[in-house]
Amino acid sequence: MLSKIPKWNLVLILVLVVEIIVFGLMNPRFWNITILLNSFNDFIGIAIIGFFVTLVVITGGIDISGGSIIGLTSVVTGILSQVVGLNIWLSIILAILAGGLCGLLNGVLIAYGGVQAMVITLGGMLLYSGIAIVLVGLSGVSTYEGISGFPMEFSQIAYGKVMGIPNSVILFLLMFAIAYILLHLTRYGRSIYLTGINQHAAEYSGINTKRIITSTYVLSGLSAGVAGVMLTSYLGSARADFGSEYLMPILTVVVLGGTLITGGKGGVFGTAIASIIVGFLQVGLQMGGVSTQYIGLATGLLLIISVAFLGISSDFKSNMKRLITPKKIVGGKG
Amino acid sequence: MSRLKWVTKQREFRTFLFLVILFVVVGLVNSDFLSVGNLHNSLKSSLLYIVLAVGMTFVLLTRNIDISVGGVLGLSAAVSGMILRDGGSMIVAIVVAILIGAVIGLINGLGVTRLRISSFIMTLGMLEITRVVQVIYTDGQWIENLPAGFKKISQMNILGINLLSILVIAAVILVHLYLTKSRKGRYFAAIGDNEDGAVLLGIPVKRYVTYSFVVSGVCSALAGLIFASQIGFISTTAGSGIEMTVIAAAVLGGVSLNGGVGTVVGATIGAVIMISINSALVFMKVPAFWNAAISGSLLIMIVVTDVLLARKSSKQAKKERLSARVLQEGVEVHAK
Amino acid sequence: MGEKAKTLVKLENIQKSFNRNKVLKGVSLDIREGEVVSIIGGNGAGKSTLMKILTGVYKADAGALEVNGEKIEGYNPSIAHEKGVYLVPQEPLLFPNMTVEQNLTIGFHKNKHDVRSETKQLIEELGWDMDLNRLANSLTIAEQQQLEIIKGLLRNSKVLILDEPTSALTFSETESLFKVVEKLKASGVGIFYITHRLDEVFQISTHAVILRDGKVTLKGSIDEFTKDMLIQGLLPANNEKEYSDQFEKKARILENEEAVLKVQSISGNGFRNISFDVYKGEVVGLAGLVGAGRTEIAEAIYGINRVTEGNVLLNGQDITNLSVYETIQSGLAYIPEDRFLHGIFSITSVRNNITAQIMKRQGFFTKRKKEKALTKEYVERLSIKLSSQEDEIKSLSGGNQQKAVIARILSTNPQVIIMDEPTRGIDAAARSDIYQIITELKEQGFSILLISSDLEEIERISDRIYAIYRGTCSACLGLDEINATNVMKAAFGTYEGRDSYV
Repeated sequence: MLSKIPKWNLVLILVLVVEIIVFGLMNPRFWNITILLNSFNDFIGIAIIGFFVTLVVITGGIDISGGSIIGLTSVVTGILSQVVGLNIWLSIILAILAGGLCGLLNGVLIAYGGVQAMVITLGGMLLYSGIAIVLVGLSGVSTYEGISGFPMEFSQIAYGKVMGIPNSVILFLLMFAIAYILLHLTRYGRSIYLTGINQHAAEYSGINTKRIITSTYVLSGLSAGVAGVMLTSYLGSARADFGSEYLMPILTVVVLGGTLITGGKGGVFGTAIASIIVGFLQVGLQMGGVSTQYIGLATGLLLIISVAFLGISSDFKSNMKRLITPKKIVGGKG
Repeated sequence: MSRLKWVTKQREFRTFLFLVILFVVVGLVNSDFLSVGNLHNSLKSSLLYIVLAVGMTFVLLTRNIDISVGGVLGLSAAVSGMILRDGGSMIVAIVVAILIGAVIGLINGLGVTRLRISSFIMTLGMLEITRVVQVIYTDGQWIENLPAGFKKISQMNILGINLLSILVIAAVILVHLYLTKSRKGRYFAAIGDNEDGAVLLGIPVKRYVTYSFVVSGVCSALAGLIFASQIGFISTTAGSGIEMTVIAAAVLGGVSLNGGVGTVVGATIGAVIMISINSALVFMKVPAFWNAAISGSLLIMIVVTDVLLARKSSKQAKKERLSARVLQEGVEVHAK
Repeated sequence: MGEKAKTLVKLENIQKSFNRNKVLKGVSLDIREGEVVSIIGGNGAGKSTLMKILTGVYKADAGALEVNGEKIEGYNPSIAHEKGVYLVPQEPLLFPNMTVEQNLTIGFHKNKHDVRSETKQLIEELGWDMDLNRLANSLTIAEQQQLEIIKGLLRNSKVLILDEPTSALTFSETESLFKVVEKLKASGVGIFYITHRLDEVFQISTHAVILRDGKVTLKGSIDEFTKDMLIQGLLPANNEKEYSDQFEKKARILENEEAVLKVQSISGNGFRNISFDVYKGEVVGLAGLVGAGRTEIAEAIYGINRVTEGNVLLNGQDITNLSVYETIQSGLAYIPEDRFLHGIFSITSVRNNITAQIMKRQGFFTKRKKEKALTKEYVERLSIKLSSQEDEIKSLSGGNQQKAVIARILSTNPQVIIMDEPTRGIDAAARSDIYQIITELKEQGFSILLISSDLEEIERISDRIYAIYRGTCSACLGLDEINATNVMKAAFGTYEGRDSYV
């Protein structure tokens, strides 16, 4: 039981290796490391939001507003730098903070208001992309073309390289490292797990679970902000509908990564591998001349199979519970 | 008199009141909004969402969720659209669409009840799968040139009222009666309300949860047909993202994601509101880009108020219960 | 009562065991038309098991059951309903979002209009005022019970079982319930009335049955009994059982010492005007029945619930209404009553469980080595049986889970430990281990506040006992007063005490 998640990580790595081999055999160009590394730009948004949505899911919540925060931060970046005329770096920081603010709103309503995470982030999803559309509308920019004309150094964010390694790969590793360290090495991360496993027991242990829960949504919002900036730089313009198709892929990589949807178990390593699997799948299928539309089939099946597999273990859990409970009643004699 | 009081207490009534206020306020700004033609149009463009929201209500009542509705809509529309385009009969196309919806719903239901996969994940996976199957089946092409006869269905009027609208409204009323008045229909809400209690009463919980997914699948398929008939062509992304709008509509209409609460009438009104906001903005000469922001904040406000009210009353009840146990002054025995 | 009243239910020599644990050891009982039979017993005496057998939820291992003079084989809940035996549970199982009427009709194979008119008639007969269109979640507990009773009567029940119906009722609600009981009695319904409140027994019942340790110790018409007789019936037959472990208790002169924990007339939800002191190195028991308010008191001291009046002092420092974390920091720890719900983190390792409360003292990063060493220390000290620190805690036995919780508490280095039912649901060996731990802690100078419904346990371990009865402190027993009779009396609110406590 205990080694279930690490085992799942092994399965994921195996799937990734098989994937690379198969695609390489179909088209040797796939083994070109530069192409693979460059492809990170195509799924970096999904991956980095996925890392922090993993934290949210471990606390027992869910966040589906990430995709629309991408659009909002993209628009905020564009408007602040191109319409208002602020310094581009300041605009970026403010935009990311705006993402964090969205997360804060989600988190406060969920943790302190006690409303279902699904409903709040659904409302948030509509609201944040709505604000993005409003901002675009009010600034009088064409909705379809978006805001463009960013300075050269801005596009360097996505296209630049450090020692031959694309920035997107570096950002991927950086965000992964942050999420990994926070979740697995700090007491904050431990509190996240404990809260997700048993919020009552966590409270009885003196953990401020509401604050913990809120903070995970803030992190998730901030990461969506970073993803929004990255995507804007990559695509060279700011648009409100960026990220709108990310909703399902983000949840897919989190669940595929082995994080229990009911909370308490999982990790960012699985999410990272799962996002690479899904990302490479896209590249590989494109190269192999297969329509990219098949990706959904693969991820959808993987999703259901993995959850069925992981779900059986949670069945186990309820059986355990049932075994323990009657004992308690019978044993409690006085 | 007490009947009237009862009506005003219903959650749906609040939503309905909101709808009325929406129409009156917008009507005051621009009286064209209240014209028969516009009301008719509002209803017509809401039809698709109404049908989806009715199916979703079944699932939500049992405390589950169905994310796959958009996928089922797209797939069934595409398959039956191809049949129609290639000269197949309309009956066959409709039956095939419904069968597709029922089978996918059945798979969802069995996955949730037998494999115990969370309904969110199960239907999320199903959404992706149905999308791909649609693309494979249609070879990534749009389906156009649907026969005029089929497109006409959505435009047919009886006594000046859209035929489909009449059918859908009648169906909503029938379904509402089934869910609230019939013995078995009430099982759906009972399951979501208190699953243990439902089991104790001998309600076949797993079977009815599966039914709810089948109903949702069939509704999605019907919505697919309406979509095909109204729009006249089916793109590969038909119905994408619609699931969230539908859930929002249902929640707006008073259906709780916690199960057990809500009616299809409420969900229907919610759907009409979601769609009317769009045209209301146009009539108020407010740029349409405000639409999503308004529906989003509306959704959040309504849900948060609801939860806070419910929590307050349950806290109060708990407090009353505990203090009822305490021996009151005058009868007490002192320790020291 | 009437001489030739018909016997409704007859239980003969009913036996029932769960996993070699004999809960019912041959119980015989009967009820006739128009009788109200009170069933009294401590926690775990077998009352609920007996009632579950009567309603067909459990199957008896041995013994016979007769309903309306007919021997019944293959009994189950639906036969019970058919035969007119209906249980009104302590916590009514209603559908909160349905109306009263919907709750009455759901799952009922009868015409709705008939049900409605029957209900109206019943409500009128009972003189209740109940709006059929109200939502069940807006009903008070009393109304929910009324609803359950109506549900039972609609099914033409001849035997109603009321399981501690007054435990959540106010005084006037109780009065109106009793009126209903009188009416039902007059109409020939037989009622089993389960309760802890001896006053009520004398107020409404015609007969009383005392159940102790799976056996009927006292049975008869109510006018043959006094309160004291009932209490005697509840006590263990011979108090001189041999125990393997002994507890050293010393009477101490406490006047000269400063109390470690001072609770000064605190009130809150579920309790009122509670005062007690705990001194260094002593075990103080909080005795009482389930639902008396002990857990609420403990949780209020710990900071989970609010104290509305009064103060809690720890070493002279006011800790009233501090947050849980601050309370722990100031030196008070709590072992929750419900281990599964509030105690353990089931799907994570034993190490993570044991270190859950001292994480914050480690700084930003968790320190694996330190955690391992700490876990090792406590696993050895409390002899927790496991194969690896990485074992998920739910794979451990109940006793070892509880020890892990104790380890977690001890790691915060508290001065006062509140233990709420520390031995519930664990086997005999683990139980004596935990007693051993308590003894050691006491010797090391920890102060322990022990909450237990286990009469023997609290009597044997505690140096002093405060009894909680219906949310108030009914008595304080000094070392020389602690014996089974007094503790039992105090728990039932009938202890008069020495002159000084009157």
